[in-house]
Amino acid sequence: MPGPDLLSSQGLRLDGRRPNELRRIQCKLGVFTQPDGSAYLEQGNTKVLAAVYGPHQAAKSKSLQDSVVVNCQYSMATFSTGERKNRPRGDRKSQEMSMHLRQALMAAIKTELYPRSQIDIYVEVLQADGGAYCTSVNAATLALIDAGIPIKAYVIACTASLAWKDGEPEPLVDVSHVEEAAGGVVLTVASMPSTGAIGLIEMSHRLHMDYFDTVLSRAMQGCKDIEVILDKVVREHLAEGWTKSDDAITI
Amino acid sequence: MTSHVKIRLASERVNHSVTTNNDLPRFYTPGEVVTGMEDFMRGHGTYAVDDSLKAAVAGVMQKVNKLICIRPRKNRYVGEIGDVIVGRVLEVQQRRWKVDTNSRLDSVLQLSAVNLPGGELRRRSAEDEQMMRKHLQEGDLISAEVQSVFSDGSLSLHTRSLKYGKLGQGILIKVFPSYIKRRKNHFHHLPCGISVIIGNNGYIWITPAGQTNVVEGDDDEMAAVELQTVSRSDRDTMARVRNCIMALAASKMMLDDTSIMFAYEESLKYDDVKDLLDPEAMLDVAFLTQHRINYVVEE
Amino acid sequence: MTKMWTTKSFLTKTKRGNIIKIVREHYLRDDLLCGSGACNVCPHKDDELVLEEKPESICTLFDYPHYLILDTNVVLHQIDVLEEDALKNVIILQTVLEEVKHQNTAMYQRLLEIINNKKRRFYSFVNEHHKDTYIEREPGEKQNDRNDRAIRKACAWYETHLSICSVDGKFPKIVLLTDDENNRKIAVEEGIVCCTAKDYVENVTGAIGLIDKLSKNVIPETCSRDALYPAHLTPSQIHEGIRNGKLYQGTYRASRDNFLEGTAVVNGFEKPILLQGHIGINRAVDGDTIAVEIFPEEEWRRPSDIVLEDKADDPGDQLEEEAVLLKVAEPVDKSDEEVTPTGKVVGIIRRKWRQYCGILMRSKFPGAVRHLFTPAEKTIPRVRIETRQSDVLAMQRILVALDSWPRNSRYPLGHFVRALGPIGNKDAENEVILLEHDVPHARFSEAVLACLPPNDWTIPEEEIKKRVDLRSECICSVDPPGCTDIDDALHAKALPGKTGDGLKRYEVGVHIADVTHFVRPNTALDKEAASRSTTVYLVGRRIDMVPDLLSSNLCSLRGGEERLAFSCVWEIDENANIIHTKFHKSVIKSAAAMTYEEAQIAIDDKSRNDKVASSLRILNALAKKLNRKRLDNGALSLSSPEIRFQMDSETHEPVEVAAKKILETNSMVEEFMLLANISVAEKLAAEFPQCAMLRRHPAPPPANFSTFLKAAKQQVR
Repeated sequence: MPGPDLLSSQGLRLDGRRPNELRRIQCKLGVFTQPDGSAYLEQGNTKVLAAVYGPHQAAKSKSLQDSVVVNCQYSMATFSTGERKNRPRGDRKSQEMSMHLRQALMAAIKTELYPRSQIDIYVEVLQADGGAYCTSVNAATLALIDAGIPIKAYVIACTASLAWKDGEPEPLVDVSHVEEAAGGVVLTVASMPSTGAIGLIEMSHRLHMDYFDTVLSRAMQGCKDIEVILDKVVREHLAEGWTKSDDAITI
Repeated sequence: MTSHVKIRLASERVNHSVTTNNDLPRFYTPGEVVTGMEDFMRGHGTYAVDDSLKAAVAGVMQKVNKLICIRPRKNRYVGEIGDVIVGRVLEVQQRRWKVDTNSRLDSVLQLSAVNLPGGELRRRSAEDEQMMRKHLQEGDLISAEVQSVFSDGSLSLHTRSLKYGKLGQGILIKVFPSYIKRRKNHFHHLPCGISVIIGNNGYIWITPAGQTNVVEGDDDEMAAVELQTVSRSDRDTMARVRNCIMALAASKMMLDDTSIMFAYEESLKYDDVKDLLDPEAMLDVAFLTQHRINYVVEE
Repeated sequence: MTKMWTTKSFLTKTKRGNIIKIVREHYLRDDLLCGSGACNVCPHKDDELVLEEKPESICTLFDYPHYLILDTNVVLHQIDVLEEDALKNVIILQTVLEEVKHQNTAMYQRLLEIINNKKRRFYSFVNEHHKDTYIEREPGEKQNDRNDRAIRKACAWYETHLSICSVDGKFPKIVLLTDDENNRKIAVEEGIVCCTAKDYVENVTGAIGLIDKLSKNVIPETCSRDALYPAHLTPSQIHEGIRNGKLYQGTYRASRDNFLEGTAVVNGFEKPILLQGHIGINRAVDGDTIAVEIFPEEEWRRPSDIVLEDKADDPGDQLEEEAVLLKVAEPVDKSDEEVTPTGKVVGIIRRKWRQYCGILMRSKFPGAVRHLFTPAEKTIPRVRIETRQSDVLAMQRILVALDSWPRNSRYPLGHFVRALGPIGNKDAENEVILLEHDVPHARFSEAVLACLPPNDWTIPEEEIKKRVDLRSECICSVDPPGCTDIDDALHAKALPGKTGDGLKRYEVGVHIADVTHFVRPNTALDKEAASRSTTVYLVGRRIDMVPDLLSSNLCSLRGGEERLAFSCVWEIDENANIIHTKFHKSVIKSAAAMTYEEAQIAIDDKSRNDKVASSLRILNALAKKLNRKRLDNGALSLSSPEIRFQMDSETHEPVEVAAKKILETNSMVEEFMLLANISVAEKLAAEFPQCAMLRRHPAPPPANFSTFLKAAKQQVR
């Protein structure tokens, strides 16, 4: 059971947020010129770079006749955690994260549009301070949008945990590293908030069934909140690169 | 070799935006409902769910009669017949070359779609097939035109014109294809004595004007052209043009002969070509160019 | 609401000894409330107005309305003063709260309790997350200095915040209480009103006894004038000494018989280290973690055999008696096997002081304020306290807290906490027993009582639907006479048909009151029960683990009442082999709540043939077989005679003590409880192999018997 210390008696979390507040989100699209799409995303102190290449001709061995091949690679920088740790790219954790990333993104990418092609998504965690997976999914979504690859909707991931205040369960959204380390349950959800579809759901510990719904709905609300913020950034990014000479018709 | 490398803090980076965002169109982002389904046709960048048409990419809407498309800010090159492209030969296969054209599938240049030495039209013999690598080999750059588009979206090219063919000495620049303005002519001889081919696929080729970019004839002649020395001043000018294009691209401006020429002229106030690598200078050039374009458009 | 974002970074050491930098986010907010009734800027709701609009001053030093802000040292040292109702309208800053939590969790709990008591009007202000009161640590600034600065910043903010909101210029001022001289000096320079806790409390009017609770906190090592004891080493010296093997760390255990002798168990020595004399013990108190220096082997001594009690009268600040003790302890023969490693205390690593019960030894001089206090626990030295109420307290059992033990004081200094009652009074003595054994026995708090179901609670229909209905079964309970918390019940019946081996089949069930239905995880009730962890039985009193409504009503399987239970039901053959086990939540209705004696009579009385009696007979027969099986498997039977007090029904005074009779039915119930435990354990081990654990007693080390052997040897002689 998570300690009661995750919430102060005034209802504030360790870093001063309220239970339903996200960490600060800052992001930028098109940070590189070499890949087709790229994005940099900060959620609190978790910092992630994502780059998307493609769609391009798939390698013959991988090529599929009816859909695109999506290739994900998640890696953590040596300096991303408190203690420096050399993480070879193929280590178990990164491989698992890559698979999870792929699963969440495949739910949204319109794979049927690009037979015999391949999309490469590279995610590098520069600093991990809780929710590295979520930030990676969100950054990858932005990079896909930047690359102009058709997706059904934003794929947003968010975590939620459960704390206790005065004996009442109080779910916490967007869990930081300190809160993760406190040993409570961490529920990770990757979803498309505009449709409500869930692409991936994962839980770190056991959680009593009675509380699952409240924690899940808090995580889903977190996804919605993040989508609003990211959508705004995408629109600003579009506007920034807009020139009058483009011929657009609007209704 | 020593050189000064300057690494800037993120906070000190230059914002390359030069545009004045007065009248912005309506933007759509993925998952957003564009319109109700009735009476509209689903185009690129959209998909249908239940009774509505939703955007699949982030961009602006284009409507042609009943066809609704969402065009993203940038994406891979989508070829159209007649487009001029610059590409790189990837592979030599049976009776055809595979060419990288920055599109989502590799393009094809059929042996039958090239002009072979000796000119005029003639049957491709077995000997020609064996000599393919002599003509174009892996890594060679070519300019070509889109002949047709296959059903899976890949492009078929041809170089059956004197304008097209293997490229000699010059500089290749890659920009996002959406920055290229569609024009009737993509081969330009700039007044500064430089030729550029602005490929529709976002590959831009800069070469000294004296060089005939199309090489026809026998191997010796080809080799002679390749070895021809380019003068120092020509190389300076090429580098300047290259930096100007990069400046415009960094500021997400549309590229055509006019904008490149304007940028070149504005850049002349920087004596040293390498000064143009400085982000502030790039922004300055892009800004002045935008200003001149606006002025021209208003007139 | 706007959030500002900043980061806190600090260096820390990992387990491997690497230094790493940790950066944490820190959000600053503008929606935090000041909690003052005099404020009309913050959007308070009614129940958030903790501080009074016009606080009445009780201190003659500050005769205008004011709020108090406390420094951490004041909270840590003067918690007993704060627990008095006299002080109100106090602001506890988050900085202080966190420092207290970090330094002393027990103090923190007590402080939280004060804050949660609405009547006390203590407001905890989240200054660390308020955009106007947060300060960043400056380069080179010590954490302590930074916190002091944060406290001063909050004081200044409150002062201006309250003045802005004020319409008529009359607003409560802020008074900072701090015992830190340096902090006080800077505060005065910054124009913050401040004083020491001592000055403030001494000038409080209308609160008798508040002064007695002032902690006599002096920094022990600074009193070098007239020093009686050698100075303790500093923490860094101790650390160094332990690292290079010159010093040893251990827990000090005072001798019960000789106040000038004690021992410490340290690593690397089989025998505990002997510590003798005032200087050898050097102000260590039973339970403290200490640093010990061990003498060379030729100076080792043997424990003394004499009984030495601290003299009854106060000799003043001087040391004596050493000679008597030391002469006795001089080893007669170097090869004496009772010679033990001997050493001396050179430093205190951590004090384990708590509050002690005892009696006041009045000073011989009438009207004196300094008195000695003799704790009930013999291992604790006498304590010097100051009180002006010695006339009243002399006849009472009192509670005293230790504050410090300066070098120039023969006795440790402490202060009076509260009186427990007259000496010899049963309630007061009970209280002493409870306090000395650290049994939580306060009344259940409002928060705990709020978790209870209503008094007239009955089982709701939908709850019955969720459970297995066993109300028709003939279930009965067997308990000692006078038992009100019946937590288990049994049933047994013969099943039709026979097993494959041609044996009779029985169904046997054990039903345990389902407390989990009422005590939900993480509620105040759950936490309270966890901290009590058992029901404590005194002679005339019972200290419940959960409130009475549950323990002796809703969770007591009384006869004829429908109750929620957790059941373990077996199918058993007549040789007591388990054929099948199932577990379920159930609803039961006990047919009879019997005493052991009643049950025994029902079994023995051949004329009785009712359902209850027959099921008891089945149970009894099976229990005997189970018992034999268990003993055959090597079970250990430990039994110490239990005693019962006969109480006078009128006065509730114990009148007689008798040993409990052991009947067959006792072991019958015991046997089935064991069976249930075993079945549950098996189920747990099968279902949760990763987290099921077995609690077992390790074999006792031979050293545990040394005292017994010594005593036995003397008997032989």
